[in-house]
Amino acid sequence: MVSARYVEYRETRMKSRGQPDCLYAAVHAAEFPAQAILRLRPDLRSHPCVVLAGSPPEERVCALNLHARKRGVVHGMTRLEVDELGNIHILTCFAETEATARNVFLETLLQFSPRIEETFATNASAFVLDITGTERLFGPPHEIALRIRSALSTVGFRASICICTNYDTARIKAEFSSGISVIPYEKESEALAPVPISALHLELEHYETFALWGIGTLGELAALPEEELIPRFGQPSRAWLALSRGYAEHTFQPMEARFELKEHIEFETHIEQLDSLLFVCSNMINNLVARASSRALSLASIRIDMSLEGSAQYKQVIHPAIPSNDRKFLLKLMQLEIAAHPPQAAVDSLTLTAEAGQHCKVQLDLFALPMPEPSRLDVTLARLKAIAGADRVGSPVLLDSHRPGNFQIGEFSINDQLFTDAKTLNRTCLRRVRPPHTLRMQLNTGKPAAFRDGSAPFCVSVAYGPWQSSGCWWAVDRWDLEEWDVMATNDSGESIACLVVHDHLNGKWLLDAFYD
Amino acid sequence: MLFMTDQESKPALCIKNTREDYIELHIASAFSFLASSSGPDSYIERAIEIGMPAMALTDRNGLYGAARFHASATQNGVKAHIGAEIAVSSFGKHSVPPSWLPNLHQDEPPRIVLLCKSQTGYQNLCQLITRFKMRETTKTEGAATFDDLEEFSEGLICLTGGEEGPLASALDHDGEAAATKHLDRLTSIYGRNNIYVELQRHQEREEEFRNACFLSIASRMSLPIVASNGVRCASNADRELLDVFTAIRNHTTVHQAGRLLSRNSLRYLRSSPEMVEMFRDVPEAIANTRIISERLEFTLNNLGYEFPRYPVPNDESMDSFLAKRVEEGIRKRYASSLKKPLLERARKQAQHELELIAKLGFAGYFLIVWDIICHCQRNGFLVQGRGSAANSVVCFALEITAVDPIGMELLFERFLSESRGEWPDIDLDLPSGDHREKVIQHIYEKYGALGAAMTANVITYRGRSSAREVGKALGFDEQQLSKLSVLVGHWEWRGANDTMENHFGHSGLDIRHPLIGKYLELCTRMYDLPRHLGQHSGGMVICAGMLNRIVPIERASMPGRTVVQWDKEDCADLGLIKVDLLGLGMMAVLKDSLELIPRHYGEQVDLASLPEDPLVYQTLCKADTVGMFQVESRAQMASLPHNAPGCFYDVVVQVAIIRPGPIVGKMMHPYMRRRQGKEEISYPHPLLESVLKRTLGVPLFQEQLLRMAMVVASFSGSEAEELRRAVGMRRSMQRMRNLEGRLREGMTRNGINEAEQDNIVQAISSFAMYGFPESHAASFALIAYASAYLKVHYLAAFVCGLLNNQPMGFYSPAVLIKDAQRHGLRVRTICIQRSDWPCTIEHEMDNTQSLRIGLNYAKGLRQSTAEALIASRISQGNFRSVDDLASRVPELNRKDLSLLAQIGALNSINEVAHRRDALWQIQQAGRPVGPLLRNRTSNPSVSNNMPLRKMTIDERLAADYSGTGLTCGPHPMKYHRDSLRRKGYVSANELQRSSTNSFVRIAGSVIARQRPGTAKGFVFLSLEDETGIANVIITPDLFERERVLITRTRFLDIEGLLQIQSGVVHIKAHCIRPIDITTADLRSHDFH
Repeated sequence: MVSARYVEYRETRMKSRGQPDCLYAAVHAAEFPAQAILRLRPDLRSHPCVVLAGSPPEERVCALNLHARKRGVVHGMTRLEVDELGNIHILTCFAETEATARNVFLETLLQFSPRIEETFATNASAFVLDITGTERLFGPPHEIALRIRSALSTVGFRASICICTNYDTARIKAEFSSGISVIPYEKESEALAPVPISALHLELEHYETFALWGIGTLGELAALPEEELIPRFGQPSRAWLALSRGYAEHTFQPMEARFELKEHIEFETHIEQLDSLLFVCSNMINNLVARASSRALSLASIRIDMSLEGSAQYKQVIHPAIPSNDRKFLLKLMQLEIAAHPPQAAVDSLTLTAEAGQHCKVQLDLFALPMPEPSRLDVTLARLKAIAGADRVGSPVLLDSHRPGNFQIGEFSINDQLFTDAKTLNRTCLRRVRPPHTLRMQLNTGKPAAFRDGSAPFCVSVAYGPWQSSGCWWAVDRWDLEEWDVMATNDSGESIACLVVHDHLNGKWLLDAFYD
Repeated sequence: MLFMTDQESKPALCIKNTREDYIELHIASAFSFLASSSGPDSYIERAIEIGMPAMALTDRNGLYGAARFHASATQNGVKAHIGAEIAVSSFGKHSVPPSWLPNLHQDEPPRIVLLCKSQTGYQNLCQLITRFKMRETTKTEGAATFDDLEEFSEGLICLTGGEEGPLASALDHDGEAAATKHLDRLTSIYGRNNIYVELQRHQEREEEFRNACFLSIASRMSLPIVASNGVRCASNADRELLDVFTAIRNHTTVHQAGRLLSRNSLRYLRSSPEMVEMFRDVPEAIANTRIISERLEFTLNNLGYEFPRYPVPNDESMDSFLAKRVEEGIRKRYASSLKKPLLERARKQAQHELELIAKLGFAGYFLIVWDIICHCQRNGFLVQGRGSAANSVVCFALEITAVDPIGMELLFERFLSESRGEWPDIDLDLPSGDHREKVIQHIYEKYGALGAAMTANVITYRGRSSAREVGKALGFDEQQLSKLSVLVGHWEWRGANDTMENHFGHSGLDIRHPLIGKYLELCTRMYDLPRHLGQHSGGMVICAGMLNRIVPIERASMPGRTVVQWDKEDCADLGLIKVDLLGLGMMAVLKDSLELIPRHYGEQVDLASLPEDPLVYQTLCKADTVGMFQVESRAQMASLPHNAPGCFYDVVVQVAIIRPGPIVGKMMHPYMRRRQGKEEISYPHPLLESVLKRTLGVPLFQEQLLRMAMVVASFSGSEAEELRRAVGMRRSMQRMRNLEGRLREGMTRNGINEAEQDNIVQAISSFAMYGFPESHAASFALIAYASAYLKVHYLAAFVCGLLNNQPMGFYSPAVLIKDAQRHGLRVRTICIQRSDWPCTIEHEMDNTQSLRIGLNYAKGLRQSTAEALIASRISQGNFRSVDDLASRVPELNRKDLSLLAQIGALNSINEVAHRRDALWQIQQAGRPVGPLLRNRTSNPSVSNNMPLRKMTIDERLAADYSGTGLTCGPHPMKYHRDSLRRKGYVSANELQRSSTNSFVRIAGSVIARQRPGTAKGFVFLSLEDETGIANVIITPDLFERERVLITRTRFLDIEGLLQIQSGVVHIKAHCIRPIDITTADLRSHDFH
């Protein structure tokens, strides 16, 4: 059955000599996490291998090779279940390995066409290449497919390849077949007929309906009358039919060359002065800001890489609170960062790499009180971070736990509600010692009697406690602490009120805090 | 101890008592439901370990664990004080961390501790709990008010509680003045002598701050203080489980529970020295625990339970009123010419029974049960007493039971005897469903909301529930937990490999990992701890308006029901009498059949006078018993051809003999051999011939034991019953020795020599444990015979009744239908033009009956929707098209329409060609139509195009089983029979014609799997094909090898040795394989 839409599609896509003017090659590498590892471990390729993802004890199989599948491994199995099958190599999934492998995969494909679009498939790496007009370079479609397969094989990948004049047909067929397929023009529907309907990525409800109808493949779906289907499912069904009959239209969106905000300079002579370095930095920041501004972007972060004399490397990153194009502000942040972490040798080369971000779009209130510029807060925070460390500046956030002193540093925020609880304000303050000092404690009938903090000996006059606290018994970071509030004096008559802790799990006494 | 080493400050209160024994007065057990991790028994064990002579159980808002605590404490010589933590909403909110400290605490009312000084105090506590629990409209925790406390304050001692108490919350929220105010209020309610300010020390700073304030307030108000540990677990190791319970209670995980979890492990039952050391700065607090303990005189031995009274006319006593009703009953029961000869014996027996009933003061109980029977009769409800009550002619006369104890020579003493020291126990069988509920509601109305309640059923953690809930609390994912839950089976028999460790392994969890190891450990520790309180299926306690003084009553989750806080055993242990109103599915089937038979067969059937029908016995002898009461199980079918019942008493024996008791007691095989003439009938002594003749010399019934003792040793009925109980329960060796001595003396007097005495004693002791009550068997046999009679003569009505009262019995509806079809019944599929909500009987052209499956079998279709469909069909006639159906019954959503189309229920519509066509049409018809097109007359969903192909056979089967759980078409195996036959498979009915000890190969769907506790690990499979059911035996070794295959696979191919004995056919499996028959989801009925 040839629908009117198909005729229309064919007419618009054909060249004058009756052939469409485009050709696509879809490349689909299934079980990519496993391939990413096994390409570098040829010794394992002939053995059953699985890749586990997740953290113990809940690791599950996320990818496997054909040998493992033959041994009965399926996705989602736990480590123990795989172990029980015996003699299966268990590998661990690393995102970095997978990302690197993807880049290699892509680079290989770039040899065949600069116009490549990435398609997203579960557990796979998949791309569609626009190979229109490449016949003169690489030969007829089948030849191109063979070359692509050969090139991928060289770098250790196995992939299914489909060449077709229709983008989606090529993509689907590559995903649901193995080896090489070249689909002749006007044979798309035929080629797609055996593909399961799951290729359409429908909603569960629609799958259920199709299952009840006995529609399991694209061929069966394609046979349904369009004018009957649309009243039942609405307009989306038009697209399903187009996909299943092989005439879906697609606007090719090639991957663009990466927009990289990067400036690099090699110095003819070593730079030892900060001012000189900042002078160069100023120009580089100007360039980065100009390039970002031309794309209506701002700088969200700047990574500073320096090669130092003696081949040492220097790396720091500055993060303004909000993306900014303020050259002076960015330069100031950089100055503070470098001043806080000065290079340990003269500088040979400098690279600034910026991450682009969107401008701040907050519209201020006409009637609001004048506020300092947001960038000034950033400068202040940067100064504090330069002194205390980046992970030690922000707002402390208490955690829901009995573990003493349990908190984390969150993003800095201003609480505009004044704390007026007089009862709480009158309480004694506790000044935490971080990290806690290890003490040598002397006990008398189980209670602290004297301790030595470094070289200074203290004699305990009063000890209140012990206050017991334990928890997280199910995890490795469990705790079991005994706290004592003690008053102690040293030989010179100096008196302190402090909190000492006996960590039962590590058998240590610690000076944890002072009472002010 | 805590605090102060060098500069100790002395407490302000003077020390009044220097005794250092500490008694724990504030303990929550696991019956505080998810607020404690130790059961009452564990506390008693710990008390013995640490030498604590007494302790008080104070569960949250109830006395749920009190009965078990009391029983365990009494056995171990510990004094069990009874009390409860009571939530009081008038105090405001419970103390929680301040809002700036992240926490998940919910608002709850503070709780005080109330301890029972006297019986009055206990009754007040019960009434107090009942008052606030019953004030709620649904099952919930509830909370008391000051008014409630004031009304029920007498006889109680109040402790102010720890962090959960009102003083702590007042102190946290509003300071010392507020705490003083609360204490003032409690003092005015309970009096200065009955209030103690409670101090707890768990080595926490906030708590010590509070303690200092409490001491100051107590000193100022001159109130005594008392120490407690606010105990939540028996040992500190149980803290982990307590944390898990906390996470479960708050619907979170331990990772996220944060401050809801315990701060440390100190809320366990601490020993006296530990507590004395802890409170050595306030020794008065310790001394007062002892003083309070001495003041708490009440124990559950002194419950104050009174036997229920029945209202009788002024000029009558309950005894005389009962005697008149019995006399009337006897005249009626023995009026027929057949029974008349028994009349005098019945009167004499009734006189004997009434004297005993009067002596024991049980008349009220019999009258209450009689009243229930009268109510059922007035309303036309079927009712029949079961159990040992059938031994009593009084029960027979009052029409409580249907078995004539005189005619069947049953022994009254098995039911009631003076020496027994227990209340009578009458169980009534009612049709499950509406009728039973109406009877229950009648009892509530008659005896008042505070006079009757259901007994509770304490739901405890089992393997599956503990694995699931601990897993969730530890943060494991749902998929993994489901996998584990499926594997943790509930087979009755547990082999060496049926361990949690193995189940964890099979589900892919590595127990070597510390977290998984902990998970497993917690599951094991959680096993058997209470999870929540349900209601017992039928047990009701009746106490004429005073039940709320005996035990607290609360709302059940089912509307209109109330439940006491103790379960059936607890009630029995404490002497509360109950009536069991049990819903028996077969009674409902009989009731339905009796209504259908006159309408569709034009005949009347009276269950009380069913004839002894040879056809029924022939059917029983062939073990053609699918669907029949008590004789349909696999084991019954295997024994029926051997025993070949030929009269009613044979059915009584048949019902009794296939039980775990007689099987374990090795009574079954001797009886069967004698029945088949393979073994000579002999008696332990000639004197016993009269007693054992009916059971061919094999002692089988408990009543026979009693009679044996009466015949050979001249025991009285009550002495004989005492002997049965002593031997059967092995309660006391000394008592058994004494009774044996008396038995032997009696036998000597009767001239029985020593060798014969040994023989008789051996016979008595070997079966005392396993004997079955003859009266119970007789009651069940009546129903079994009635069900067999109805099935044989009125198949359509009987099957219709069975299908309308599912779930019940041994077989699924799918199997029942296949069996009915094999017996010639036509079964029609669900049809929107014909089906009602329940299954119905239709008449064929040849005037025979057929069965129409009701819309109740369309899975997921709501009754209200189906009724709207039926109403539309009745009022406006048949549905003309799918669109007509969708527009006339707007309650049908697209899912419903899809379901009906899928199961073929729309095929009767003219415009529908087949199921897929209906599915195609409903996809459009189910869509809402805009106002413009709403009144159009043409049918848009029908088009000439029929794009979807018909369902294949397999698809149709899959749709049938997934949509209805059954198929009315041929059995799935029938479609494969030709190819199977070519491969050498035989069908179930061909097995009978094969030769024994030959190797055969069969295939079929698994309809039942059993691993009985008495079968030493053997597994029995029932395999069904289109010709019948084949029985397969699987050895424990084979089961271990193929466990997953046997427990999960729906269709099996089995090769094995055929064994035929007296018409009973078994295949001993040697090889088991899966076989691909259909993708349809056939469900097996697995027995655990």
